[in-house]
Amino acid sequence: MTPAGRADRTPDGAALAATIRAAADGDQEAFGRLYAGYVRLVHAILLGRVPRIDVDDLVQDVFLAAYARLRELRDPAAFGGWIGAIARNRATDFLRQRRPEVELPAELPGGDAIAAESLAVLDAIRKLPEAYRDTLMLRLVEGMSGNEIAERTGLTPASVRVNLHRGMKLLREKLS
Amino acid sequence: MSDYLWDPTSPPDPETERLERLLRPLRTKTAAPTLPQRTTRWMTPRFLGPALAAAAAVLLMVGATWRSDSQQIGWSIASVSGRPQVESIAAREGGRLAVGQAIVTDDSSRARIEVESIGAVTIDVNSRVRLVESRDSHQRLALDRGTLHAQIVAPPGQFVVDTPSARATDLGCVYTLHVDDDGVGLLSVQAGWVAFEFKGREVFVPSGASARTVPRAGPGTPRYDDVDQAFQDSLDEVDYGGDAKRTEPSLEYVLTHARRRDAMTLWHLVSRVDAAHRPAVVDALARLVPMPDGATRDAVMHLDRAALDGWWNALGLQDASWWRVWKREYPQ
Repeated sequence: MTPAGRADRTPDGAALAATIRAAADGDQEAFGRLYAGYVRLVHAILLGRVPRIDVDDLVQDVFLAAYARLRELRDPAAFGGWIGAIARNRATDFLRQRRPEVELPAELPGGDAIAAESLAVLDAIRKLPEAYRDTLMLRLVEGMSGNEIAERTGLTPASVRVNLHRGMKLLREKLS
Repeated sequence: MSDYLWDPTSPPDPETERLERLLRPLRTKTAAPTLPQRTTRWMTPRFLGPALAAAAAVLLMVGATWRSDSQQIGWSIASVSGRPQVESIAAREGGRLAVGQAIVTDDSSRARIEVESIGAVTIDVNSRVRLVESRDSHQRLALDRGTLHAQIVAPPGQFVVDTPSARATDLGCVYTLHVDDDGVGLLSVQAGWVAFEFKGREVFVPSGASARTVPRAGPGTPRYDDVDQAFQDSLDEVDYGGDAKRTEPSLEYVLTHARRRDAMTLWHLVSRVDAAHRPAVVDALARLVPMPDGATRDAVMHLDRAALDGWWNALGLQDASWWRVWKREYPQ
């Protein structure tokens, strides 16, 4: 049965394995399908860790790095966890190498189009423990359902449910 | 939990909906990158015949030496200070450390070795490091003695360091590993995670924490670096003491002085102490982090993996299931 709220862009099972094989062979269309299915996962992981201005570039880096190593992936079902780990590593590497920077406040003239309140919520989520942070980013920023999050990340639905519940509780405390 | 938080097609919960509305502008909008060219355009009959013939000839010529060449790729020596040596010859910047070779530093020398797609390792003074294995998806060093600092960018599980008493598997991180002349080791993690393992005895060491390791006994219980000395000493006594009269009060000290974040340490202790002491550890852990739904006391007492993983996930560090996936993908 199709899980509730599941996105229709992610191939699964045998289709995912075929897509990965084709993408590994350089098929841009297959790679595009992988990208569409997992870009929200990668974006959410990066947005929870690095400055917003760098996120889009790093998303591209992560997918190109995954493409370069795609033939090493033996279990297609592990793709979500695999590319998620690449994204976390890339974020760690980026933060280690960059010079210290401060994100400009949103209210500067001609500055950020994102509302200050939105950035305050983002900042609060970034301060949560890693497991809660990633799960809440996927749910609240990327709009994924609990089942979708479990499917993309490789976590069990029970783990996702716990992360959502406890993460939301901590987020409420931080925002209050 | 409101159904809406789990399933966005359910009737909206006002608070969650407000947060979604605020965060929606941050959603991803980027398009897929264009792939760099691979060789598929050459896979046509017009090119395949001559190409295969040429390839066969080349393969015949290089086939005999391919294995040894592939083993010689190794790590590059990015920088040196003092006079580190590779196989008794002075190491130089731009040189290579091949599989089977060791790099040795004295009390005034250091070296940094690296592989672009894996990361870099700085070898401190008075150290000996061997390159045991070097393949695309698997890099293995051995730290015989001394200290190394690893900064790894490869996917988790692809970089491991053997010590005389445990194997450190990188899970995406920055860490320092030290081994004394007598083989006693200390792992300190500065970012990410490291799994420390010896003969099935496995610990996960998160950022800000350390774990000792002792020959023939393997890794000890990880603890955060900011615990007090008495807590550290008590934990060492529990891990390696062997004297029941001292172990019990030491365990009691650990259980009564553990802070919320030390639940990580207690979680490891659940499966490390014997059955007689396990109930006390389980009770102490439950006081810090309640047992999650789906896990039962009975299952935990019997060291049921699913129950222990569920409790680990409740600590809020990182979900355990991804590590299981990686162990399947990259069995050591």
